[in-house]
Amino acid sequence: MDEIALRLPSTMTQAEIKLCSLLLQEHFGEIVEKIGVHLIRTGSQPLRVIAHDTGTSLDQVKKALCVLIQHNLVSYQVHKRGVVEYEAQCSRVLRMLRYPRYIYTTKTLYSDTGELIVEELLLNGKLTMSAVVKKVADRLTETMEDGKTMDYAEVSNTFVRLADTHFVQRCPSVPTTENSDPGPPPPAPTLVINEKDMYLVPKLSLIGKGKRRRSSDEDAAGEPKAKRPKHTTDNKEPIPDDGIYWQANLDRFHQHFRDQAIVSAVANRMDQTSSEIVRTMLRMSEITTSSSAPFTQPLSSNEIFRSLPVGYNISKQVLDQYLTLLADDPLEFVGKSGDSGGGMYVINLHKALASLATATLESVVQERFGSRCARIFRLVLQKKHLEQKQVEDFAMIPAKEAKDMLYKMLSENFMSLQEIPKTPDHAPSRTFYLYTVNILSAARMLLHRCYKSIANLIERRQFETKENKRLLEKSQRVEAIIASMQATGAEEAQLQEIEEMITAPERQQLETLKRNVNKLDASEIQVDETIFLLESYH
Amino acid sequence: MAGNKGRGRAAYTFNIEAVGFSKGEKLPDVVLKPPPLFPDTDYKPVPLKTGEGEEYMLALKQELRETMKRMPYFIETPEERQDIERYSKRYMKVYKEEWIPAGPKPKKAKDAGKGTSLTNTADVLKKIEELEKRDDGEKSDEENEDKEGSKEKSKEGDDDDDDDAAEQEEYDEEEQEEENDYINSYFEDGDDFGADSDDNMDEATY
Repeated sequence: MDEIALRLPSTMTQAEIKLCSLLLQEHFGEIVEKIGVHLIRTGSQPLRVIAHDTGTSLDQVKKALCVLIQHNLVSYQVHKRGVVEYEAQCSRVLRMLRYPRYIYTTKTLYSDTGELIVEELLLNGKLTMSAVVKKVADRLTETMEDGKTMDYAEVSNTFVRLADTHFVQRCPSVPTTENSDPGPPPPAPTLVINEKDMYLVPKLSLIGKGKRRRSSDEDAAGEPKAKRPKHTTDNKEPIPDDGIYWQANLDRFHQHFRDQAIVSAVANRMDQTSSEIVRTMLRMSEITTSSSAPFTQPLSSNEIFRSLPVGYNISKQVLDQYLTLLADDPLEFVGKSGDSGGGMYVINLHKALASLATATLESVVQERFGSRCARIFRLVLQKKHLEQKQVEDFAMIPAKEAKDMLYKMLSENFMSLQEIPKTPDHAPSRTFYLYTVNILSAARMLLHRCYKSIANLIERRQFETKENKRLLEKSQRVEAIIASMQATGAEEAQLQEIEEMITAPERQQLETLKRNVNKLDASEIQVDETIFLLESYH
Repeated sequence: MAGNKGRGRAAYTFNIEAVGFSKGEKLPDVVLKPPPLFPDTDYKPVPLKTGEGEEYMLALKQELRETMKRMPYFIETPEERQDIERYSKRYMKVYKEEWIPAGPKPKKAKDAGKGTSLTNTADVLKKIEELEKRDDGEKSDEENEDKEGSKEKSKEGDDDDDDDAAEQEEYDEEEQEEENDYINSYFEDGDDFGADSDDNMDEATY
C-alpha cells in the first residue's frame, strides 16, 4: 500500500492529504475520494492517466471529476497539443470543514433566507440564481404554517443583498467570443470572469411562490407514488439566467471571520467601546482594503466619528482618546499614520493576525505543559533569544525544572535552538546556544497538528459509529417501522410493542454514542477555528 | 572514532553545562521506541465551547452530513449482496436521481476508437451551443470527443427538481463509453485514430 509517496510533487503534507481523503469520502463517497486524493498527491494529470493510475474505468473517473469540478474542488486547463489536465485544490477541500460556520454566519447576518441560500450554494457547488431562489422558497415554505408560502421576490432580494456585500459571487463562465474563429474548438473552454461582473445580479423577474412538498411525494418514508419520470418533461419554462452560475465567496467569509476575531480580541483586552470603534473602522475598510493587505487604508478620526453606529453616543473627544489609547497599546492593532483630519488611523491587520496566532501558541503551551512552561514561553518570546541560564534567572524557575520544560518545548518544536559560535571553528564548547521562538514555524507546526487532530477526530467518530452499526441500524429500522405503522393508523399498544424492541441498555448505548459523536463533531468545529487563525497568519 | 571507547570516561567535545547538565550527572535514558499511541496527559483538556452558535453549528454539521449522502453527488460504491432481504429496507431506500452536469445532448454517433478526454460541467454552455452548430457530421478530432459529455440540451437546468438533487436530463451515458477503451490506451491525447475521418487530421498517427 503506497501510503507515503516517494516523490510528492504537490506541497501538501501527509496529514493534509489524509484529512482531504476523509472529507471527500464522507461527502462524496469512495470513488470521488479515490480520484480526488490521487490528483492531490500527483498534481495535475490528464483524464486517461488518472484512469490508468487509479485503475478506475474512464466512465467513473469522468463522473468523479464532474462532481469535483461542480464543487470547485478540481479545475482544468488546456495544455499544448490539446491535452487537458485536471488539478485538485487541496486547500479548498479542507474548507468543507467550515461549511457549518459559513452557513451559521449568514444566518446571523441575513437570517433564515440568507442561510438557506448559502447552504444550497455550498451543497450544490454552483447554481443559477433562479435555481437557488426556487429551492430556497420551497424549503422555507415547508417550514411555514399551512396556507402560507414564501414569495420568490423576498428570496431574490436577499440574494441581491448577498451579492452586493460579496458573500456570493458569479462563477467564471465561457467567454462570449465572436464565431469568426475558424479553427477547431479547444478541448476545454477557458473560463473567465470580469472583475466588474463578479457581483452583477442578472435582471430577472422571478415571480412565484414556494411549493410545499406533498406528503405523498415523501422520499424517505417510502417509494414515490409513481416511479418518477425523468423531469425533462415537466417545467419546460426557459431559464432566464441560463449559464450564469453563482458560488459562495469563501474569501469574503474569511474576511468577516478575521474581523470578528480582531474585534473580539480588542473587546477582551480593552473594553466594549474600543471594540466597537475597531469594528467601525473595519467595516469602513471592507471594500477598500484587500484581504491580504498588511493594514487598512488610513481613516481620519472625523470619518470614524461620522461612521459610528447610530445608537453610539460618545463625543468626538472621547473617540479621540480611545483612538490614542488603541494606537499606544503595545499590541499595535491600531496605528496612527498621520495628523490630518483629526488624526489618521489604520488597523494593522498583519500585526493583529500575528498577535492572534501567538496568543494561540501561548494558550496551547499553557494547556499542554502548564502555566510555568507558558511563562518560560512568553519570556523567550519577549526577549527573542535567551541562554539556558538566563531563562532560569528571568523566569525564577529552578534549573532542573526549567531545563526539563525547555527541552519538552524544544522536542515538540514550539521552540528552536539558535547556535552562535564564538570562534570560527564552531567548537561546541565555545558556542552560545540560545533558545528562541520562531512564530512562523511554530504556527506552521501547530497547524499541521490541527490537521492531524481533525483527522483523528473523524476517524474516531467513524469508528464509534461503525462499532455500533448493528444497533444503529436496528434503531433506524424500528423507527422506519413505527413511521409506516403510524401512517397506516396503528394503535398505541402496537407502537409501544415495536418501541420495546429496543431494550433499555440498548437505549443507554445509543445515548452514549450520541453524546460521543456530538463531542467529536463539536471538537472538529472548534479545531477548525484554530486552523483559520493559524492559516490567516503566514 | 572507536579509539577512545571504553577507556576512561566519555569526554564531550563541548561544555556539557551549556545544555544544562552538571558534570558527572546521569544522563536520561535513550528512548528506543516510538512514543505511545495514547500517552498520558498531565493536564486535562479545556472543555469545549458551548453556546447557541456552537449548538446550531453542531446540528447543521450533522444534518449536512446526512443530506450530502442523499445527494446525487455522492457516488455510491456497489454494495455487496445482503444475505437476508430485510423488510424494512424497502422503506429506507432513498430515491436518488442520477446527476448529470448540464450540457447539450450528444448528437453525433460515437466514434470508434476515439479516446475521450473530458466531460465538461455546467460552465460550458455557450461554448457547447457553438459547437452544436458546428458539429453535424462526424469528427475524428479528439477535441470533439471532449465535448461529447457536454453536448446535452441544458435547458432544464436546476429548476426542474423538487428535490435537493440537481438537474436531471436525458443523457445517453452510453455515448460516452468507448467500446474499445483498451485500444485507446495505445494513443496519447492529441493523436488521431487514423481509421476515421481524415479531414481534420492535424497530428501524425503513431
